[in-house]
Amino acid sequence: MKNKYILYVLGLFVLVFTGCKEKEYETPTSPSGLQNDLIKRSLGPSIVGMDIEFAYAMALLPEKGKLASATVTASIAGATGTYMDNKFYTTTSGGLDVGTVVGTPSVNSGNTTTVTYYADISAATLRYFYRVPEEARGKEVTFTFSVTSTNGETNSYKSGPHPIRRMDIKKNLIVTDPTACYLSIADMAVYDAAFAAANPSKIDLVYLYRAITGVTFNHALVAPTASVEYRPGITLPAGLTNKTKLIKAWDIRDQQLVNTTGLATSVFVDDIDLEQRNFTDAPDFAINTRAESGVWVETADGKYRAYIYVNSVVNTATSKQMTIGIKRLTIK
Amino acid sequence: MKKSIYFSLVLLGLLATGCKKGYPVDEDGLLITTRSDCYVSSFEILGADYQTVRSKAAVVDTTAQTVTVEVLFGTDLKNLYPQFTLVTDAKLDPKIPGKVDFSDLSNPKKWTVISGNRKVRKTYTVNLSVQKIN
Repeated sequence: MKNKYILYVLGLFVLVFTGCKEKEYETPTSPSGLQNDLIKRSLGPSIVGMDIEFAYAMALLPEKGKLASATVTASIAGATGTYMDNKFYTTTSGGLDVGTVVGTPSVNSGNTTTVTYYADISAATLRYFYRVPEEARGKEVTFTFSVTSTNGETNSYKSGPHPIRRMDIKKNLIVTDPTACYLSIADMAVYDAAFAAANPSKIDLVYLYRAITGVTFNHALVAPTASVEYRPGITLPAGLTNKTKLIKAWDIRDQQLVNTTGLATSVFVDDIDLEQRNFTDAPDFAINTRAESGVWVETADGKYRAYIYVNSVVNTATSKQMTIGIKRLTIK
Repeated sequence: MKKSIYFSLVLLGLLATGCKKGYPVDEDGLLITTRSDCYVSSFEILGADYQTVRSKAAVVDTTAQTVTVEVLFGTDLKNLYPQFTLVTDAKLDPKIPGKVDFSDLSNPKKWTVISGNRKVRKTYTVNLSVQKIN
């Protein structure tokens, strides 16, 4: 019993004096062979016409060889504007990205985008911008990033599937009272009175600004069917009959619709937000729409639902206008 | 020895259960207290964008049991979210689970405040009007 106790205590001493021994720092050994890694830089829903951005890192030990080429293969070919940057970037103390060219400009061929490296590059991180094509709407896209080196090695990294949303996006539309105040959700465009008169079925909303004593009216979006008191002083072109439904929103500063760099936001309106919005009992007018507010919209025929974000408003003596962005989903 | 163990166990059992106090709760699981105060202390009303639509502060008359509130011109009266602040321990009937339709201005909405002891009930009428263009 006594011996056992002594052995136990000795064992404990050994553990105490050896368990916390600090190891000397050793410089990590670089893994041999061609290495690669990937991050997706862009956030939010992927939408047709917008870019999905990745950063693809590649490296091998200089004595083993050099980088030869980097290739991205998308399951659906990217639209015009798809490219891989032929620079890697470092950030200055002022926060600016400074690029260093490491290869030839990328070449698109079918589903693939390739950068061929210059002769002496052992490591680089290249950015890839996939412009989402119309063919990808409502589908999923996968990407295979691959790298080859001069010693014949290859490595690759798969990313996805990335779902592409069904919605459309349009930014920086300017509605002006009274010269260009007719908004079409179907076209995601702003028109003047002459166009509205010629194409009344296309007009879903009318923009107006009024400064009325005693009430807060200001900037407004109203359906052509809205009561006259909500569109004072406007004589609509004949035939405008769309009873568009509107729901005012606040604090939904969609990152993809915001056009000011100073406004930090991590909110994204997605397909599901538009699909699940309940427009029962929604009115056909939205008075006092302010900058950074929004309006949920359903067209009279129920074909489209949209979120209109108000980027900025102007109400000077000579100009009454709003800059807006639209995310629109075809419902039926 | 055995006797004292049994005795201790019984004592422990008594200690654990003997002093348990039952707190009365109502059908909503809310504590029924001794308070008989029964009134609305303040009132707010929000629009579909969860921003206030009041044009000025609501007037709560605890004697007449009314809430008088004017909302901004252009307010969507069918989709409003009234918010009552009540005296401590009181509750509201009916509950307000979501938006409320105030569009029938000729028939003001009514809510009943129930005191903490659940013995006093006072029905408040919310008289809502819309800001007019001068």
